[in-house]
Amino acid sequence: MESIEAPVERERYEPGSEADFERLYRNTYHRILGTLIALLRDRATAEDCAQETFERAYRNWHTWRPDAPVEAWLHRIAINVAISDRRHQRLRQAGEMIRRLGRPAAGPDPSTLAERSDLIRAIKKLPTKQAAALVLRHYHGYSNREIASALGVPEQTVASRLAAARKQLQAVLGR
Amino acid sequence: MSDLERELESELRRVLDPLAALPIPDRRQASRRTAARALVGGAGAALTVKVLTGVAVAAAAVTITGAATTGSLNPADWGQQVKQQVDTCKAELASGQHGIGDCVSSFASQHGSAVASSARQHAHGNDGAPGAGNGNGNGNSNGNANGHSKDKAKDHPATPKSASAAAPTLEPEPIDPAGTHQPVSISPQP
Repeated sequence: MESIEAPVERERYEPGSEADFERLYRNTYHRILGTLIALLRDRATAEDCAQETFERAYRNWHTWRPDAPVEAWLHRIAINVAISDRRHQRLRQAGEMIRRLGRPAAGPDPSTLAERSDLIRAIKKLPTKQAAALVLRHYHGYSNREIASALGVPEQTVASRLAAARKQLQAVLGR
Repeated sequence: MSDLERELESELRRVLDPLAALPIPDRRQASRRTAARALVGGAGAALTVKVLTGVAVAAAAVTITGAATTGSLNPADWGQQVKQQVDTCKAELASGQHGIGDCVSSFASQHGSAVASSARQHAHGNDGAPGAGNGNGNGNSNGNANGHSKDKAKDHPATPKSASAAAPTLEPEPIDPAGTHQPVSISPQP
């Protein structure tokens, strides 16, 4: 599998450069959005979190070191944003449930293909860090070492998270 | 690679690869926190409220304490009254008697109680009880301090503080050189 970082890492970026950050945004937006769609409940939330990710990255753009993989750095921010959103989501769900009482449930958004996939739905139910490890490994093609670098955890922790995620997926999908 | 892993990869690609065809939206600009926003929002708002509350409380305390101490907002008023009382007490001393502490102290106590009472009413009229405690405490303590308490009189029995406080004499002295008040009449004491 081709490493998803390869095309992006060929590009060189200057920390703090406005033009370089705009280029980074154009080059990585879809990948970051893909990760967030796999982790979060719907596409609108994922798009919002993607923008939040790039806002946070922009605020810290001057602190990024060119020797660190830039997409791994972005993914680390994105996963932290997703974790925060999932926490807030639990609080929002109670309010939404009250508002929806007595009304017919809204149908699925036809544009959100991810919501119609059993496997993706199962991934969304995993703990965020486990789901992130799965997506980085099996969609973006990161090695365990790259994931460990992106998430700032030991490589063994990544292996444990992947194993736990696969085990839970098998249980959920009945395989 | 297990079946599950293969399925994972193919499913993730099937679902997420079409995203690459979507247009990239304009990047949301990071909001800049101005000084005004920092003051009215977030932790800045809490700090601002605390600072303003502290200033308001300090200003109220100064006003109430001042009123309780002097009976008015002008600190010269109380000092002038005490000065007059000291002169009066000196003048009332019979020959051979020393010490005006009791005389001045009784005046200070009466004045302190009266001023504390008015300050208490003032405090209740404004925002509550804090003025009550200040009124009592300041009224009494100022009376003793300004009126030369007993101990102080003993320590410095005949030390004139200025030219106007000359050596004691039995002759009645005008307490008001400007002539705005009637001189005190002295009746001989047994």
